[in-house]
Amino acid sequence: MSATTGRSRKAHSTPVGLSLLAALGLALVALPLLGLALRTPWSRLGQTLSSESALTALRLSLVVSIAAAAIGLVVGFPLAWMLARSRFRGRALVRGLVVLPLVMPPVAGGVALLTAFGRSGILGRPLHEAFSVQITFTTWAAILASTFVSFPFVVLALEAGIRSIDERLEQAAATMGASRWYVIRRVTLPLLGPQIAAGVVLAWARALGEFGATITFAGNLQGRTQTLPLAVFQQLQTDPEGAIALSLLLIAVALSVIVALRARFLPAS
Amino acid sequence: MSLRVDVRARRGTFIVEAAFHAEPGRTLALLGPNGAGKSTLVDVLAGLLPPEAGTVTLEAITLDDATAGTHTDPEARPVGVVFQGLLLFPHLSAAENVAFPLRARGIPRQEALRRATELLADLGLADRVSARPRDLSGGEAQRVALARALAAEPRLLLLDEPLSALDVRSRTQIRALLRRTLVEFPGVRLLVTHDPVEAMTLADRLVLLEDGRVTQAGTAQEVRAAPRTRYAADLVGVNFFEGRLERLDPGAGRIAAPEGDVVVAWPHDIGTEGESVIGILRPADVALHVQEPEGSARNVLRGPISQIAIEGERARIHVDSSPPVVAEVTLGSVARLGLHEGSDAWASFKAVEVRVLPP
Amino acid sequence: MRRLLVFAVGCVLLTSACSAAGGDAETNKLTVFAAASLTAAFTQIGADFEAANPGVSVTFNFGPAGGLAAQIESEGTADVFAPASLSWMDEVANKVGVHDRTDFARNTLTIITPPDDPAGIGSIADLARPGIQLVLAAPGVPVGDYAREALRKAGIERAALANVVSNEHADPGVVAKVAAGEADAGIVFASDIAPAAARAVRAVPIPHAMNVIAVYTIAVVEGSAHQPLAEEFLRYVIGPEGQAALGRYGFLPPP
Repeated sequence: MSATTGRSRKAHSTPVGLSLLAALGLALVALPLLGLALRTPWSRLGQTLSSESALTALRLSLVVSIAAAAIGLVVGFPLAWMLARSRFRGRALVRGLVVLPLVMPPVAGGVALLTAFGRSGILGRPLHEAFSVQITFTTWAAILASTFVSFPFVVLALEAGIRSIDERLEQAAATMGASRWYVIRRVTLPLLGPQIAAGVVLAWARALGEFGATITFAGNLQGRTQTLPLAVFQQLQTDPEGAIALSLLLIAVALSVIVALRARFLPAS
Repeated sequence: MSLRVDVRARRGTFIVEAAFHAEPGRTLALLGPNGAGKSTLVDVLAGLLPPEAGTVTLEAITLDDATAGTHTDPEARPVGVVFQGLLLFPHLSAAENVAFPLRARGIPRQEALRRATELLADLGLADRVSARPRDLSGGEAQRVALARALAAEPRLLLLDEPLSALDVRSRTQIRALLRRTLVEFPGVRLLVTHDPVEAMTLADRLVLLEDGRVTQAGTAQEVRAAPRTRYAADLVGVNFFEGRLERLDPGAGRIAAPEGDVVVAWPHDIGTEGESVIGILRPADVALHVQEPEGSARNVLRGPISQIAIEGERARIHVDSSPPVVAEVTLGSVARLGLHEGSDAWASFKAVEVRVLPP
Repeated sequence: MRRLLVFAVGCVLLTSACSAAGGDAETNKLTVFAAASLTAAFTQIGADFEAANPGVSVTFNFGPAGGLAAQIESEGTADVFAPASLSWMDEVANKVGVHDRTDFARNTLTIITPPDDPAGIGSIADLARPGIQLVLAAPGVPVGDYAREALRKAGIERAALANVVSNEHADPGVVAKVAAGEADAGIVFASDIAPAAARAVRAVPIPHAMNVIAVYTIAVVEGSAHQPLAEEFLRYVIGPEGQAALGRYGFLPPP
């Protein structure tokens, strides 16, 4: 009698080894955060966080990360669609290019952006000479840098999502009189809802923490390009405790958004 | 105001060549084994697969003309399709699914949903209008798919294997509903299926499709009277012989086939010696004996009984002779003769009982 | 099977922890924390030092003075500290303690422009022209503070600071932006554009009266596990070989 109950209990609970490894994983993330919380100068936290530079950096971070996620979605969806549905030669190469920003060191990404969009870059030079437009050192540069590193998340999530939609559903919709755009609007996109959310949130989170490409391509100037990660690093030079406070702010923003969207991460509701 | 199809369509390495027509007010069944090309033809008619050659016209409007290069996109065709697998939109309720074709054509939401709810009520689903597809039973989902296909009042209704996914009980229910709905539908109705029962109970005319080709077209009666292929013969349950016609003696000939020869009355109206012919023999015309019979029957075949299939008060006995034959006898005879699977039997039939037809 | 896995993982963790703790006990491994502007010069000096003292290995950690100071205070793995800032040396001296503190080099500032000088920078006064894109190191980075001091001495601080488009976190960032042609001008240490970078930018000297002399100090960190070796390295840097190397990399001798 006890043998059968013991067996059934084991079948439903998590194995010990698995729990241990899971705990290690959690510790990896939780301990640094705990250290940060312990070292935070709680007494002057309010003062530090309400300083002009901190608020400016926060505002800029939110603007840049949200813009990057939005642009990533607008540009990423058609790209994901082509990768998932069209059969064209060089598809593997295109997918490789899309994934590249993920594996490149962000600083290298920044350098690459300079060679393309900098004042003497492939596109940047004609833009500068013809219209006196310079992208570097502007907020747009920060947005471009953040989009560059984060949009692969959108493309990968959406490509997987589009693939998982039965193409026959879209064909069926066509036989019901739906134009191509109607099908995308009313069938494909609604069915992609969870994947879109997951991709956009991941991209936003990545964009929020972006540092290397931003500082290399956009530079670092308060109010224009100094996002929170850049502000943290600069604070480290003059005021390490202040840097900790700013780091906490960054983490708090990211954590609150991700926790608020908790259910959306899971594709099957 | 009919549908005329004369196309060659290719899907990968598989080619379908078919020509047939369907009149409004009558249901045509495209009947064939799996892999015959039925779904390919559904896709051609729906506009999802442009034909390689030939034309498709519906009510004098050319939907496809391969030589002229015209192809009407699916969204522009007045076609309603009930797909195999239904393909209901999982993110929409039943009513929204049915309203989809209306909204896609620009009809405002309120109006579309009103019409959709009406249609669903007609099919007995008034209380399921807000249910999601995953919460519907097989029969309910089938009805929603049907309502959706009818919603935009198409001129051609295509049903691809409508009953195949249902269990036996739902199938009978839905079949009755389908028959009612089809009869009420004013346009052209095309039913695609591999199930002969489905075809014969729902359709007025049959088009048999085998291996990408139309092998026979006609009413169920016509096919039963003169099946042209083994598949058709199996469908209607008659014996089928195919071979070269040879002279035997005055008044008699022989169909020489690799499975075995059959003696037939010489068919004066068709063909000459050496030509390929088919012979049709009704199982009811085959007599069974447990000893070698004597008599005028020119065909006496011996073989073990490979199968006894009971159908109501009759039994169909499959004898594994050369060639194999199926005999139909009463249950009483089975008992009286003590027939059972494995035992030897003699099947006999007269030469005149074999109907000889050109291939 | 699972228990075996847990046991194995535990062993790996333990042994790696042990080796990490015991590693520093080697007596011929030296860790030097130095200003980013000393990267090229000290790497060379380190190589020379290792060549002169077989079996010794010198590891460098180059970075901004503040960041290095923070690391020293929290970890204390540095044996030698050589910032480009007297105040950060004071900070570490107060918090952790140092000895044998010696000034060993000086650095002056210079203006740099892209090789083709798109904005026509001829002197420091040109930096005040509206529309010039100027890149400096951030405040808190030694060369950043010094640059601002020089601008103040030249009387153009306000106008020039209005032209700043980026506050880089380290000297190489300033050089990179100017060399790439992104900015019109930057202010860095003379040593920052020695050998390799010299070809990539054009230098405009700053008059002595407005220039800022940065003094580099070096010291042995209190509590270092390799005191004798650290002191020897320090002597090497101050000695003829070290000074010659520093001179080749654009540094001036100590005051």
